[in-house]
Amino acid sequence: MKSKRAFNWVLLTPVLIFLLLFLILPIVLLLVISFQNQNTYLQLEPGYTLSRYVGILTQWKYLKDILVTVGVALLTTAIALVLAYPAAYLLTCAPSKSVRSLLYVLLVSPLLTSVVVRTFAWIVLLSQNGILNQILEKLGLIQHPLSMLWNMNAVILAYVQVMLPFAVMPIATCMGEISPSLQRVSMSLGAGRIRSFFKITLPLTIPGMASGGIIVFALTAGSYITPLLVGGGMQPLLPLMIYQQAMQVSDIRLASALSIVLLVIVFIFILPVEALLKRWEVKVYG
Amino acid sequence: MDKKRRARPEYSRLFGKAAGILVYIFMALPIIVIIFSAFSPSNFPEFPPTGFSLKWFVVIFTKKAWLKAIRNSLILLVLVTPITTILGTLASYSLHRLRFKGSELLQSFMLSPLMIPQIVLGIALLYLFSNVGWTGTYGALIISQVLIAFPYVVRSVNACMASLDPVLESASMSLGANNITTFRRITLPLIRPGIIAGAVFAAVTSFGEVSISLFLSSPTTMPVSVRVFNYIEQTFDPAVTAVSVIFVILSIVVLFIVDRTIGLSKAM
Repeated sequence: MKSKRAFNWVLLTPVLIFLLLFLILPIVLLLVISFQNQNTYLQLEPGYTLSRYVGILTQWKYLKDILVTVGVALLTTAIALVLAYPAAYLLTCAPSKSVRSLLYVLLVSPLLTSVVVRTFAWIVLLSQNGILNQILEKLGLIQHPLSMLWNMNAVILAYVQVMLPFAVMPIATCMGEISPSLQRVSMSLGAGRIRSFFKITLPLTIPGMASGGIIVFALTAGSYITPLLVGGGMQPLLPLMIYQQAMQVSDIRLASALSIVLLVIVFIFILPVEALLKRWEVKVYG
Repeated sequence: MDKKRRARPEYSRLFGKAAGILVYIFMALPIIVIIFSAFSPSNFPEFPPTGFSLKWFVVIFTKKAWLKAIRNSLILLVLVTPITTILGTLASYSLHRLRFKGSELLQSFMLSPLMIPQIVLGIALLYLFSNVGWTGTYGALIISQVLIAFPYVVRSVNACMASLDPVLESASMSLGANNITTFRRITLPLIRPGIIAGAVFAAVTSFGEVSISLFLSSPTTMPVSVRVFNYIEQTFDPAVTAVSVIFVILSIVVLFIVDRTIGLSKAM
């Protein structure tokens, strides 16, 4: 058995080396350069400084970005979870295998098409000469095309659509594991359908909602492609700010400091939920 | 059976189903729009479509820049998929067999590229690779895509590993097979569905990845996803919808393969 253990370590080693070199090392480097001194021409100077972090945490233009990023990510997560619920329900109670397969295809196909493609579809739908404006004009509801793109509502709409599958799948998995007899028991004991839902189904799907919510929150908080394309790049979001600092201003050290702040924020929200989820699983499944 | 017995209309249940259907329509809407406008002859997307034309596909397949981007994406896909699948399978398998203090933590760490904001990974890898002069190379793109796709493989192989009885392996070893033979003859066939699903996810992630590839690609190595992004940012041209349809068709083919080999609901 000892040789087997050694064999497993041999298998694991290349993975560990890969993650060490290309996950740990780059983030450590990011942390280091975020403290480095630089002159006004953005050139490296000796010594380290806290001034970037002090600036980020005291200046309104950064604080606003942080608050908006967290707010938008929380809102997207909440909307995605609410919408995911009936979608997951429909999937678990699909009457036949072919209907279920169709729903799965609808569910998974957005995951399989690049985020640029999905976001582009929203531009096609919402732009001035886009499809929604054409329909509204033909129906006589509006005289002039509405400007529906390039604002935060469009960003949130696109986010929700892009992230929904990540929320639906874990909830559907949880729901599928609930024995239908539980609800029957609850109803035979006199609880109504709505009451049994809140007392039985909802609590049992909390783990699914938590793990779906974690992924949606993390992906939303770190996404810059969607707001860049649908929001016009002018929205006060941290990922956009990082993108601009790195690609347009070429201030890689400020971009690093902002990245570290974003990373910490995401973990502050995710880690407690993940810890609760682990404890819940231990409690339920032993 | 159950349904027939209840005569009373179930409004809450009906409401749940109707809401569900609306959500699926909402999810599918953009894809439907894309497909319609790709086959439209007009210069901007119209609804209802005014005709049928393949001219945007002709544009895509005759423009050198698009062809090159598609070629780049295929090169990356062909290299990223096997590397990620092997690394992810090794990780999942060995970590399941090695129980030690902190193995749970290592497990979470391996799935963490899913949770780390992609912009952060992008900036971090950009800095690392620019220091060693790798930015713009296929190598840099391959490494970053492997990193992003890796957790998906680990997750889907984990799902199979959880139901794999270790007794089978012990039996094989006690009958004289060594580690490698046991892995090849016993373990591998049993976790194959998870590996296939993981490979599919890795391929799709590689093909669609844009957040990190945007930082790391050069005009000569630019994959098609990044080219689509650059194109949309500058112009509003239905040529992009034709490329998108190629993406959609590819994903439907992939889904079909998964459904036929292991079943969709098992793979996810």
